[in-house]
Amino acid sequence: MEDLNEEFEPLFDYSRIQPGNVVCLDDDSSNESPVFWPKKQKTSHAAKEQKEPDANVKDVKVINCDEDDEEDWLPPPPKISDKSSKILEEDSTLKALRLKKQELASLAQSADEVVHAVEESVRKNLSSALQSSPKSVTKQSLEPSHEREKLVISIQDKDGQKQFRVYMDDKFERLFKMYADRIKVDVKTLVFCFDGDKISPTATPDSLGMEENDIIEVHVKSS
Amino acid sequence: MSGGIARGRLAEERKAWRKNHPHGFVAKPETLPDGTVNLMVWQCTIPGKAGTDWEGGFYPLTMHFSEDYPSKPPKCKFPQGFFHPNVYPSGTVCLSILNEDSGWRPAITVKQILVGIQDLLDQPNPADPAQTEGYHMFIQDAVEYKKRVRQQAKQYPPLV
Repeated sequence: MEDLNEEFEPLFDYSRIQPGNVVCLDDDSSNESPVFWPKKQKTSHAAKEQKEPDANVKDVKVINCDEDDEEDWLPPPPKISDKSSKILEEDSTLKALRLKKQELASLAQSADEVVHAVEESVRKNLSSALQSSPKSVTKQSLEPSHEREKLVISIQDKDGQKQFRVYMDDKFERLFKMYADRIKVDVKTLVFCFDGDKISPTATPDSLGMEENDIIEVHVKSS
Repeated sequence: MSGGIARGRLAEERKAWRKNHPHGFVAKPETLPDGTVNLMVWQCTIPGKAGTDWEGGFYPLTMHFSEDYPSKPPKCKFPQGFFHPNVYPSGTVCLSILNEDSGWRPAITVKQILVGIQDLLDQPNPADPAQTEGYHMFIQDAVEYKKRVRQQAKQYPPLV
């Protein structure tokens, strides 16, 4: 419930901005509100009075223009008075709204709990299903591997580059074999170099200080 | 520190090279005996272009960068006595883009230099000779010149 109150904070803030109205409502709205009404009406009247001479002046020049002006300028005052009256009404509806919201929120909370329960049960079912299936073996072996650092290495031959994702601590022989299989060549006919040095099949990207997107050059043995 | 600009640029050049460079080329800053890297001197390899008499050779080239790089170009050296009309007996390459007063621009990259020198191998510039032997043979005896170039290619086999 504390959370719910926090949700309503904006509404309270709104009423704090116009404390006068709130007080009026609870005590004597009839006494106080008239004070506001005439004021607003006066200002709107004043605006009208000021407007009219302007409109007359403009009348001489362009007729269309002042019509637009009046439509633009005159409606706002009634709107203001509408708002103030609405605020008075709203405050009573606010309470109703608040109750409604609380109901909805409690509904949502219970709904959330239900969803959570469903999710958990689904998860349990899934994991148990996976464990019973052969796929679970690969799943389990993949999970720890997430901790092993990976990097992308390009193997470059005369014609272009091919990119491979490898583990930092994986021996190159695996990558070499993968590459040779991909281009359908015996791995023994290939020489792999990094920065001009031949790469030992037992080396790893880590041991050669490789970085993301480093390039390995591949040469075909000429012998 | 005046070397800040040079070193900064060279670090960038090296980074770019690692991610992308033409096949068969090598370019890496030298590693000193104590294991530290000296960005001011690069050990490079230029492969002879396929389809030319230079094919099959992997020519070692050292680039010496000064503290004024990239305002001034690096000095590029093949091994002493390298056979080419535009290579000085010391091994220094004579090429317009490597000349501060002619074609050098600070924007020229290490990759462009190396590719430029690879082009020069098979396309010597007889207007700008740097050694007597290579130059004379090139303009006087094309057959002998060709033979000599092919022979030299064999002297620089692949490192691996």
